[in-house]
Amino acid sequence: MMAKSLARSALFVGKCIAHELKGAAKVEVRLLELDENLHMYFPSFQHYFADDPKEECKTGDIVLIRELPEKKTVLITHSVEKMLYKLGDVTDPITGKNVIMSKYRDQIKERNEQFGPGEGDAGGFNYEEAPPRGWQEGKKDFSHRVGYKAWHVFEPGHPLHDDPAAS
Amino acid sequence: MPFMKGKAPIRRTLQYLESSRLVLRDRVKVVMINYNIHGAHHEGARDFVFWHLPQLQYKNPQVQVTTLKNMTPTPFMRIFFENGEDVLVDVDSKSRTDIFDHIKKVFCKSDTKLAEEKREAQILDNPGNFGWGCDRQCICEVPGQVPCPGVIPLPKFMRGKYKYGQVDE
Repeated sequence: MMAKSLARSALFVGKCIAHELKGAAKVEVRLLELDENLHMYFPSFQHYFADDPKEECKTGDIVLIRELPEKKTVLITHSVEKMLYKLGDVTDPITGKNVIMSKYRDQIKERNEQFGPGEGDAGGFNYEEAPPRGWQEGKKDFSHRVGYKAWHVFEPGHPLHDDPAAS
Repeated sequence: MPFMKGKAPIRRTLQYLESSRLVLRDRVKVVMINYNIHGAHHEGARDFVFWHLPQLQYKNPQVQVTTLKNMTPTPFMRIFFENGEDVLVDVDSKSRTDIFDHIKKVFCKSDTKLAEEKREAQILDNPGNFGWGCDRQCICEVPGQVPCPGVIPLPKFMRGKYKYGQVDE
């Protein structure tokens, strides 16, 4: 895809995605590319590996990355400058409160307290007492693993059954 | 207008894109706008994105312009500078024109600065100039002009030491 009209700067905002590299965060940066015929901007994604030695960035987090003056390794060209929004634990920068989409968490809690729990209901997810994200990694949470798509699974007798490229 | 498809296809004309004066200052690197799809207090932000985001990206191809939808209850814009600092712009319940004026006043180059830059660019583009960075290194390269004195000595009446009597012929 032609990249001549894409932004080339030292700072980018991107979303963390799953990858197989330790000590780094793979960041997907969404840039807008101008289609010359339609004069319309379409999203175009660029991927960068950002240095994150403490593995603080999980899949789905929105981060600010900066280009390193010298590449740390062949693949790691940027470093995580700032974590902007954590997935599932977004803090509204204007008020500083925790939010979920179009509601504040304390607003939801107040409403739930007023309604009370339903019959046989545990009372919903308890944000205050829940441990930070990552304790179910490998057991129930596999968002850190790179996925694949299998469009068609060939039966055992078929010649393409074991072929990893055939999907 | 070719390909007159979609809502308000005027947004996709070159004239519309080029007529915008939203040229961001050099320090601005990322413009991020957070807004929701529903909600009357997000209407101004939604309209700004609909009408002015392509213009902003067209005039600033080196700036990353992103939108994040349905993350927070109130809309806001976050502008990142090259030193990593960010500035929050609260656009809750603001109209599209208010947001446009604010962004233009605070983050964009003023009209006088843009005119000055345009004038400087025209000086550089003048084909009559010669020197480093221009089409010709020296005027002596042009046929019909005085040839290079390094190659052919100038006639005596043009040379200062003969003209002002320092050297006798």
